[in-house]
Amino acid sequence: MKEKVEERVSFDGKKVKILGGIYEEGKPESPFQWRKKLRSREEMLAYLKTGERYWFSDEWYGSEKRKTPA
Amino acid sequence: MAETEAKSADQASVEMIEKAAAEGVETVFDRALKMKPCPIGAEGSCCKNCGMGPCRVQAPRKEGAVRPTGVCGATAETISARNFARMVAGGAAAHGDHARGVAELFLATAKGEVSDFEIKDEQKLYQLAMDFGVEIGNRDLKDIAIDVGEIAMAEFGRQEGEILFAKRAPLKRQELWRETGTMPRGIDREVVEIMHRTHIGVDQDYKSILKAAARCSLSDGWGGSMISTELQDIMFGDPVPVAGQINLGVLKEDHVNIIVHGHEPLLPEMLVVAAQDPEMRKYAESKGAKGINLAGMCCSANEILMRHGIPVAGNFLQQELAIITGAVEAMTVDVQCEMQSLVNVARCYHTKLITTDPRAHIEGAMHIEFEEHEALNIAKRILREAIDNFPNRRAQVQIPSQSIDTVVGFSHETINYLLGGLYRASYRPLNDNIINGRIRGIAGVVGCNNARTLHDDAHLKMILELIGNDVIVLTTGCSAMAAGKYGLLTPEAAHKYAGEGLASVCEAVGIPPVLHMGSCVDNSRILMAATAVVKDGGLGDDISDLPAAGAAPEWMSEKAISIGQYFVASGVYTVFGVTWPTLGSDEVTRELFEGFDEIFKGRWDFEQDPVKAAGKMIEHIDKKRKALGIDKKRERVLYDMAKRRELEAA
Ligand code: SF4
Ligand code: SF4
Repeated sequence: MKEKVEERVSFDGKKVKILGGIYEEGKPESPFQWRKKLRSREEMLAYLKTGERYWFSDEWYGSEKRKTPA
Repeated sequence: MAETEAKSADQASVEMIEKAAAEGVETVFDRALKMKPCPIGAEGSCCKNCGMGPCRVQAPRKEGAVRPTGVCGATAETISARNFARMVAGGAAAHGDHARGVAELFLATAKGEVSDFEIKDEQKLYQLAMDFGVEIGNRDLKDIAIDVGEIAMAEFGRQEGEILFAKRAPLKRQELWRETGTMPRGIDREVVEIMHRTHIGVDQDYKSILKAAARCSLSDGWGGSMISTELQDIMFGDPVPVAGQINLGVLKEDHVNIIVHGHEPLLPEMLVVAAQDPEMRKYAESKGAKGINLAGMCCSANEILMRHGIPVAGNFLQQELAIITGAVEAMTVDVQCEMQSLVNVARCYHTKLITTDPRAHIEGAMHIEFEEHEALNIAKRILREAIDNFPNRRAQVQIPSQSIDTVVGFSHETINYLLGGLYRASYRPLNDNIINGRIRGIAGVVGCNNARTLHDDAHLKMILELIGNDVIVLTTGCSAMAAGKYGLLTPEAAHKYAGEGLASVCEAVGIPPVLHMGSCVDNSRILMAATAVVKDGGLGDDISDLPAAGAAPEWMSEKAISIGQYFVASGVYTVFGVTWPTLGSDEVTRELFEGFDEIFKGRWDFEQDPVKAAGKMIEHIDKKRKALGIDKKRERVLYDMAKRRELEAA
């Protein structure tokens, strides 16, 4: 894929050259079935407890730093 | 010509409005011109809740003037609050009843009583099982699904306690609902209670009525709507990114065109299967067609677009226009947002209008009832009706050339995955980019089209203004389709229309600056996304702390009022356009626009100008950034005419 260089203004007001977006040519022909990557029940549950950890993990409380539910 | 141009911002629609005029077919745009809204009803000042009325009770604008009341003594405040609450209840009932149908089918599927449906998303089933406290262990999938289905069904008739999905909300929000007495108990119960409270002679304190309306709306957002979304995902698959096409140009002159219109994905899912049957295709060919072309309209469209990439013909105000192309053999309608005028329009062409739901008949339409035990056969019967109708085309077929690519299917889970990957799935990158200012904030732009305002225009102007100012937009319903028609649902749109910060994030992840999250019931996905952002940390500990805002610039449906009310009661600043239904009472309006801020830390607002409305949302976002200590001085970029023209030329 060819790199595209674009000129942008950086935070300090200077003009800088940065790499622009690069897209693959063409259109996808089928849905991006990422969920199919998880096959077994164990994998799915592990994903729920980590990837979707906001709700299900015993260790992760994110911004809600308390272990006793409200 | 000038008149038709003023009706829609969408060229394909303008073309069809002109065709309708030339062929003497009346559309919603003509009727809107002819029939002006009743000024008393429009501002919520008309009460017809008993046989002594209707009473027209407008609050006097001058201080000290005698305050009129209804025959029973009801004040303008009570009447205005009652009408508003009944709109909320109407919307919540629509979503709740949709959800009940889905839950019934889910349970029947789990029990093996219907054969045409299946559990497609096992992982999502486990997610719900965890939420509902259903044991997973080594149990059979079927048994887990039955337990989940039965618990979901019980939520509708739950009489006490708390609806189960409320537990998904940030802990602080749950506490607030409990403290304010607005935690919903059961889905049906809250709707019934609003109907009771607003009956003559019951609740006559507007603040109390409005609070009950908040509880009712929460039973929609965190109840009925969320149940629909989740169970549909389990049965039909959690939406994943998929490319599709949108606008009337998706119709094909040499194909049998079938439009699925409405809100429930059950029959459309079966039509998708049936349309792929080689036998059906052969049958279509035997009638001289090249094939079968299925296209969607309104939220049924969003559902099958998100899951199968089936093209979308248009949003709410395009339903008549699709038939006016002369190329539609059949239009199926289930529930919600179908205009009765479709029968008359269909009569002018050869289109068969087919109602499919026992709750929604239209006089003069053909009725083929969807029955879950016979789902595939019924879908095939509908297809046959359409195919048989292909040789009957009589009017000149004129299909607008416009159709454009979209990328849709951004469920909350997919956003989580796209941002973090399979092993580190997380909203962290989003939060980090909000904190570092590349993304200024999040906006949910949702809702309908309204024939009282220029079709699609407000959605477009508002979304452009927001993304141009680095606000990422989550969208559903007809708003999502408006965005799609203007090319805003492609990753390339980031580079073209988004501010530099937002564009850089979209480019890095490969997502559009406007994320299509589904149908009207899928606004519950936005609640989940907002909660995930809260839970990931760094941006406060409640939805009300987030630099986020909601809007429905062209709303018309009671469902939109229910959605807006649950956004507000969940802590979101929410601005509506077109018209506002409580303007007849300053007190009621003040309570919703200011008083609710004290109770819910979220509030309503009304602004007809979409650019000004976007400005208010950005102002709110900046205020929240300041409160979080992540504000950096920055100017608002106004989307100027040059950029607009560039868009129009696109
Ligand atoms: S309830 Fe009161 S205000 Fe409403 S119609 Fe009856 S008398 Fe009039
Ligand atoms: S957004 Fe409004 S008009 Fe569109 S389908 Fe939903 S309720 Fe109907």
